Amino acid sequence: MRWRTLRWLIVPLVVVPITALLLTGFGRDPRAPASPLIGRPAPAWSAETLEGEPIGSADLAGTPYVVNFWASWCIPACVDEHPVLASAHAEHGDRLAFVGVLFDDRPADARAFLDRYGDPGYEHVVDERGAISIDFGVIGPPETFFVDAEGIVRAKQTGPLTDDLMAEHLAAILPVGDR
Amino acid sequence: MIPDIGRAAVVAGLAMSAYAIVAHVLLARGGDTRLATSGRRAVIGSFVAAGVACVAMMISLLGHDFSVRYVAENNATTTPPFIGAISLWAALEGSILFWTLLATGWAALVLHRYRGRHLALMPWVGATLASVNAFFFTVMTWPGNPFTRTAPVGAEGLGPNALLQNHPFMALHPPLLYLGYTGLAIPFAFGVAALATRRLDEEWLRVVRRWTVIPWIFLTLGIVAGAWWSYEVLGWGGYWAWDPVENAALLPWLTATAFLHSAMVAERRGGLRIWTGALVIATFVLTLVGTFLTRSGVVASVHSFTQSAIGPWFLGAIVLALAGGLTLLVWRLPDLAGGGRPSATVSRESAFLLNNVLFLGLTFAVLFGTLLPLLMLLVSGEQISVGAPWFNTVTVPMFVALLFLMGVGPALPWGGASWRTLRDRFALPLLAGVAVAGIALLLGLREPGSLGTLGLAVVVGGIMLDEVVRGARARSRGRGEDPATAAWRLATRNRRRYGGYVVHLGVLVMAVGVAVSSGLAIDRTVTLAPGDAATIGAYEVRNDRLVVEPLPDDPRVIETRAELTYDGPQSGTLATALRDYPNSQAAIATPAVRTSLGEDLYVTLLASDASSGVVTLHLFVNPLVVWIWIGGAIAGVGAIFAAWPERRAAAVTADRREPAARPAPVETAEGA
Repeated sequence: MRWRTLRWLIVPLVVVPITALLLTGFGRDPRAPASPLIGRPAPAWSAETLEGEPIGSADLAGTPYVVNFWASWCIPACVDEHPVLASAHAEHGDRLAFVGVLFDDRPADARAFLDRYGDPGYEHVVDERGAISIDFGVIGPPETFFVDAEGIVRAKQTGPLTDDLMAEHLAAILPVGDR
Repeated sequence: MIPDIGRAAVVAGLAMSAYAIVAHVLLARGGDTRLATSGRRAVIGSFVAAGVACVAMMISLLGHDFSVRYVAENNATTTPPFIGAISLWAALEGSILFWTLLATGWAALVLHRYRGRHLALMPWVGATLASVNAFFFTVMTWPGNPFTRTAPVGAEGLGPNALLQNHPFMALHPPLLYLGYTGLAIPFAFGVAALATRRLDEEWLRVVRRWTVIPWIFLTLGIVAGAWWSYEVLGWGGYWAWDPVENAALLPWLTATAFLHSAMVAERRGGLRIWTGALVIATFVLTLVGTFLTRSGVVASVHSFTQSAIGPWFLGAIVLALAGGLTLLVWRLPDLAGGGRPSATVSRESAFLLNNVLFLGLTFAVLFGTLLPLLMLLVSGEQISVGAPWFNTVTVPMFVALLFLMGVGPALPWGGASWRTLRDRFALPLLAGVAVAGIALLLGLREPGSLGTLGLAVVVGGIMLDEVVRGARARSRGRGEDPATAAWRLATRNRRRYGGYVVHLGVLVMAVGVAVSSGLAIDRTVTLAPGDAATIGAYEVRNDRLVVEPLPDDPRVIETRAELTYDGPQSGTLATALRDYPNSQAAIATPAVRTSLGEDLYVTLLASDASSGVVTLHLFVNPLVVWIWIGGAIAGVGAIFAAWPERRAAAVTADRREPAARPAPVETAEGA
């Protein structure tokens, strides 16, 4: 008699843990993997832009900035977020800097990508030997870090940005009066 | 225009699937045959709709219609037509479209084949299959629309997946695998029908066994073709890496194989029925889990895959199928309980039981290893990965034990075996196995794993041979047929049993190939200036020259090719290359493989210097690898033989019902 009732427990006992486990994957992506860098100073970096000009974190001291790791082969994610970056740059470009970092990509391919999808107008640097990507702990593009005026990483986006996500993350680094 | 037709076909397919669900549910509640006809036609209509959508996508791909986002992302004006056509399954949305075509095709085939039969079961079968189809159409209608447009339309697309372009096997492997995956919805549908209608007798088991064997054939061939593809293309000299994608295909294969065995006990002895029902449900759920894991980006790397919106939909489907199937099973537990328990420790039944325990163990081990990264993330937030060594350590002992059972099990009588039977059947093969292993040891084979597997293979092969000879001799004596005719008739009258033996033989051949190639493979990395040579095993490989040039049929692809001469048991020239595709971050290797029955010479280009012509090569000599593919083919042929419709089906059924009335060669004439 008791068994006839208790057997129904089998269903939730099997279904609930499996659902919870598979749900974990969603919790992680695309926003979750909190970077250990958040709340800590951004790694110092220096590199050459696509035009061959030297640029580095020292040049950006005192300015909040957005570092976007991308690649021309990262499709469709980097294509999807491309207009988001362009419009954010158009809107906030006077108060904060944007830097694109090429993740495992060839400069020629990156230029072709910008020609095709439009050049938002900020600098892109060539990450020789992946040193910048390694320092930031980038696994795969697109990943974007938001660094405030003190040089502290305040937010990170794994996966493509949307306008809402961009606004949410920018709020963490824009000077108080501009939020 | 064409993409709009495709889009409309998808929506029409969804509508027809939805109607088919309603019609079949009404039919189950007592509707008349007109409902059955219209429901069946709706399923067939949804198959036609999926076909139209696939053709529309194919035309868009071949016509380079870059207004369709899928085409823009997977095709370029330089893409050859053949590659363009198989790009249908190059990426997510196209795969789901193709998948839907196959799923609706299976559903239409089953409903057509069994029209007017299994009247109690078919409404539920139809409703279940139509629900599965409706799910795929829903995914295509909303989150995974393959006909999404882009604006502005580019003049050039990104080109197909570089890996897909590189080997013709890509035309074969995904369709085979998808046919297997989608076909496994059929046993699930019959399982649901049997549980829902409480018709838990032999009827559904017989149908389900056939409809599990058929997708099983495709799944098996798909897995073997995938391993072969990975060996020929990926350039690391191996064929199985326990990657989540590979595991996703292996998991339903393991449970489906376990089912094929446990169903025999359920059918013949009435035992293991709850278990058998659970396996049918688990197999289907695992096909969904596999798709979910590999297609939603939850376990696979995030590289270049957007966080696909289909993940939550698949999760919903998994939970629905699992909870629904399990609820039905628990509801019918009292009807399924009981049945024969093995009467003796050493009997056919106990061999089957052990077989299933091992398959279950393997399923859990593979599932655990695949999901562990997710589990760790849930528990401790750590990111880890589980590598091939772990999988090998855990699974190899179980695979070896299964190999042993494969020989012993079929030779054991139902009910229980006497000591004398055991001695009669096993003594000679055991001696032969020990002798062959001994000879191999004397000939220089030292690896214990390879020696053991070789010996075991001889034992198992000996037992099987003895079974066939014994049966054929009994028949030839009893009916006065010559031995060859007797053996053929014996096999064709008992297709399931003897087809099963052929599958076992194929597995045996594969096992020897895997054991010997992994135990005795040699490899070395060499750097050769032009004109220099290196030796590996019995081969000498010479660097003739290095060529860097665009591919003639697709000039956007730059090939760096080392042209080599090799000399040894085989000799000739070969070229191994790295190809730079414009849309791939890493150069794709095209390893050169020279296959012979004894061994493969396998050469990968690791690096090169264009100015000096110096190349760095990874050389492998992999013995007996070709036998893994041959074994896979033998297993496929055996399963086709087993699934082939039996002649005199009625007579066989009559035989089975009245065991006492069976003619002379009793033991071996049973269908097993």
